[in-house]
Amino acid sequence: MTLEAHVPSGPLAEKWQHYLDKAKLVNPANKRKHEILVVGTGLAGGSAAASLAELGYRVKVFCIQDSPRRAHSIAAQGGINAAKNYPNDGDTVWRLFYDTVKGGDYRAREANVHRLAAISNQIIDQCVAQGVPFAREYGGLLDNRSFGGAQVSRTFYARGQTGQQLLLGAYQALERQVQAGGVEMFPRREMLELVVVDGAARGIVVRNLVTGELERHAGDAVLLCTGGYGNVYFLSTNAKNSNVTAAWRCHRKGAFFANPCYTQIHPTCIPVSGKYQSKLTLMSESLRNDGRVWVPGTAGDARAPGTIPQAERDYYLERRYPGFGNLVPRDVASRAAKVICDDGFGVGATGQAVYLDFADAIGRLGESRVRERYGNLFEMYERITGENPYRAPMRIYPAVHYTMGGLWVDYRLMSSIPGLFVLGEANFSDHGANRLGASALMQGLADGYFIISSTLGDYIASGGGSGEVRASEAAFDEAANAAEDRIRRMLHVDGSKTVTEFHRELGQIMWDYVGMSRNREGLLHAIDAIADLRADYWENVSVPGRKDALNKNLEFAGRVADFLELGELMARDALHREESCGAHFREEYQTPEGEALRRDDAYAYVAAWESTENAAEPVLHKEALSFEAVDLSTRSYK
Amino acid sequence: MTPRTPRDKPDILSALASPVGKKALTGVTGLAWAGFVILHMAGNLSYFGAGEAYNEYAHKLLSLGPLLYAAEILLVVCLLIHAVLGVNIYLGKRRARKRGYDVYRSAGRPGMQSPSSRSMILTGVVLLVFLVIHIKSFKFGPGIAEGYSLLAEGEQIRDLKRLVTEKFQHPLYAFGYTGVMILLGFHLRHGAWSALQSLGAMNRRLAPLVYGIAAALAVGVAVGFVALPLYIYFSAL
Amino acid sequence: MAQTMTIHFKIWRQSGPDAKGKLVDYTLDNLNEDMSFLEALDVLNEALIHKGEEDPVEFDNDCREGICGSCGLVVGGIAHGPMKATAVCQLHMRHYKDGDTIVVEPFRAEAFPIIKDLVVDRSAFDRIIAAGGYVSVDTGGAPDANSLPVPKNDVDEAFDFATCIGCGACVASCPNASASLFTGAKIAHLAHLPQGQAERKQRVVRMVDQMQAEGFGDCSNHGECEAVCPKQISIAAIAKMRREYLRAVFG
Repeated sequence: MTLEAHVPSGPLAEKWQHYLDKAKLVNPANKRKHEILVVGTGLAGGSAAASLAELGYRVKVFCIQDSPRRAHSIAAQGGINAAKNYPNDGDTVWRLFYDTVKGGDYRAREANVHRLAAISNQIIDQCVAQGVPFAREYGGLLDNRSFGGAQVSRTFYARGQTGQQLLLGAYQALERQVQAGGVEMFPRREMLELVVVDGAARGIVVRNLVTGELERHAGDAVLLCTGGYGNVYFLSTNAKNSNVTAAWRCHRKGAFFANPCYTQIHPTCIPVSGKYQSKLTLMSESLRNDGRVWVPGTAGDARAPGTIPQAERDYYLERRYPGFGNLVPRDVASRAAKVICDDGFGVGATGQAVYLDFADAIGRLGESRVRERYGNLFEMYERITGENPYRAPMRIYPAVHYTMGGLWVDYRLMSSIPGLFVLGEANFSDHGANRLGASALMQGLADGYFIISSTLGDYIASGGGSGEVRASEAAFDEAANAAEDRIRRMLHVDGSKTVTEFHRELGQIMWDYVGMSRNREGLLHAIDAIADLRADYWENVSVPGRKDALNKNLEFAGRVADFLELGELMARDALHREESCGAHFREEYQTPEGEALRRDDAYAYVAAWESTENAAEPVLHKEALSFEAVDLSTRSYK
Repeated sequence: MTPRTPRDKPDILSALASPVGKKALTGVTGLAWAGFVILHMAGNLSYFGAGEAYNEYAHKLLSLGPLLYAAEILLVVCLLIHAVLGVNIYLGKRRARKRGYDVYRSAGRPGMQSPSSRSMILTGVVLLVFLVIHIKSFKFGPGIAEGYSLLAEGEQIRDLKRLVTEKFQHPLYAFGYTGVMILLGFHLRHGAWSALQSLGAMNRRLAPLVYGIAAALAVGVAVGFVALPLYIYFSAL
Repeated sequence: MAQTMTIHFKIWRQSGPDAKGKLVDYTLDNLNEDMSFLEALDVLNEALIHKGEEDPVEFDNDCREGICGSCGLVVGGIAHGPMKATAVCQLHMRHYKDGDTIVVEPFRAEAFPIIKDLVVDRSAFDRIIAAGGYVSVDTGGAPDANSLPVPKNDVDEAFDFATCIGCGACVASCPNASASLFTGAKIAHLAHLPQGQAERKQRVVRMVDQMQAEGFGDCSNHGECEAVCPKQISIAAIAKMRREYLRAVFG
């Protein structure tokens, strides 16, 4: 099978328009005859569901939280990019496209990224019309800031809660459609199976998390908007309930999983403080605009940071990357922190942290200006650590934050299963091997508000999802039985280890061997270790409680079972990609200065994995990446 | 439950029965009574005035005739609305949380929960009962016919001052009245501020100021009222 | 290394919506001050699973960074616990002393029926938003974002109300179980922006109507909601809601 990306013809900048010109339309009167199932209510799912219902489709929406407003998009802090060029600093759609492709280390599909940049401006318009309170200047116009080392100010923001405000905008649009009758909302539901009929996605099986009942829903297309899989590492900045299960069940049903090894490790997070740690908290990247990163110049120096003289400090980012200094991209900053800590220069009780110091900024700007810019972040830091960052430098360490990989989709956001569309972080499409700051929100909303409405219509109007499917059909029986069977098995193991213990163990393997830097030996070890752990899981896990009631441990058990399969695929993907690109750093492939060595000749492709019965033998499909508009250069932040 | 069919412009009655309408009405009627209470207090204080200021003031009020009746009717209507809504809101609160907390604490500032705010229904009921007794004792108490009269500018008028003086020489009456007036202070402490908040007249800058003024008002009114009975009682000893 | 501490919990256990619940005592002697409160409950649950006699304690939580609004417990009699501007997921054990007893109850309100243990159903909030908490603009066709200048002060004010995380602590802490702060915050957010003007009147009427229909109590202006709100939303939102309503009806 070859992967057909269905990228429209024509010059890069005209492809999307060209697609829209040619896309088939569904007769308005017929839209209400089509039922669309949307799984997940983050930026992608919420905006897609609202937009499709506005167009007249009947939409059923499912989320695992008690309310669609709680999806983890809500936690995004920094901002959303758009090529508006309001500050007149020379930004263009092309420049945003270029920065994003380059930031992704040339491992994204060029046409998708250009479309994303082109749509970015519409997103801002739409959100402002909804009443999203973006930051403004005194003249009443929108304010922009520079973010993540971009050379232009193109980031729109709403204090440190941009994701929240954008999500509430989408959520409110969604609730408006609930009221209007276009959307039927199913909260506290977890998708456990995809139903494929005649080769096309035609339904899902969800577990009602309150009653435990397995519910069947038939539809003409399924939109998977279920976010990323960072929680495979146990500790991440993801919400506790973020998981891969819906995507993984689709993968097992035939959807290809692309680039699973591309995991973004965010450089500015609050370090782990103990074994009980349940999650990690991100501190916005914007802190690096004014904070300076350093470690003591002598390994193991245990003096209080304030007592270490300037001359005995190593501002290692400024030293290694004089051009960008503390503003190097996330992958570079994270890896540098890991290297310096691995070499014994780390600080704090665990030695797994570096300082992010605001003393200079406070000296230069005064405490009140710093408070104005970062006050809420400083408070959050103090709330969690009990330390006052105005007095002593913050301690930070990288943490798993975002997964660029995901289900493979074509230009239309359709997976390798017809009728299964994948939006937002759940797909692989736009960020390549590394995502730039303020791009995730942009992608989620571009997919949901502006892309899916046309591509789904095109699919439906071309005959996709036609013919009635009933939830009583054999395919639904089969899917429901499979879900039921897994639940029963988990409850019956009755072993001695908790789900969390397995999860933590898996996370440790992933972090140690499939984390910020990887090598062949470690990856081979990880593959075996995960397989062993998975075998142990099914013999030794202890899942308390019943299946016909609210039972969060049972929910987690299912998710960890899927993570145990995904983790191995991630390791296999990382093993096969013998190059360093973006967030994927293979120690064997680095320059003499320790920088990533990309191998465009051999690895300029998307690795899309097909699931087989045997987890050890996934089939690799390659989608070659060709770049018409940009030259593949080496990223340099020196 | 599905969201209800919208009623974009409710009729006036259902608007007044809405959570906003109820509180606005409670506020307006409460403010009317607060105004009356302040006037009443000022009247009381004329007891300390020279000569027959107190009785002349009382007489002047009575001589307003229809105007007085109108004011009285207005006050009675306000009182009924205020009381009915107060009870309704109290019962609604009981319905909204049938089982309370085993442990409940206030988180303090900037919240304005206080013994005053928590006891509105209680102080309200006491004030209502008191009001009935109070009106019976004074307004419908012994008058000219019973000999409580005096001549002022050639006219027989009611000697209310004598009645008041006699009543408050009785400890039960003096201290009972004092106690109730302190409760009135409590009622006003939350009520005066709350009424303005209920009418939407507050914003973030104004609220703390008005909250402070309400406290001053409550203390002022309570002190103003208890001055009379305590003065009379103790000067008669 | 952080100090080890022993904490006694009294936690509300209730097996289902109609079951009778009660406070159950648990003691944990292996906590430390750097743990979050929810991590302490995680430790308890792990111990319960190992013991195998009792199901773990169910409680809603998700982002654990104070923004999703999933978590909501009444801790020691206060919604989200004793720390100001802090959702319970960001409450840390360092605020307790070795040997303390902590009572943990669910958010209690008839409009928030208990599902199990500490988990309640807050879908009433979604229905209040569905009744009108939005600007009715379909996707596409929005004018350029800068075609409508909005004074900075207005947008800052709007943001202060828009920051609501929908956790329900306002209802839980309110002596009357009123949802006025939640409802008022959304009304105030949109009323402060030009985008919200077109539907200003119908929005407030519909949302207040829905709030009443859900069975919340009436607001008596205790202001307790503001004191527990993790986002410190001012009860000026409630005053604004009332102004908007009176304007819609009489204006």
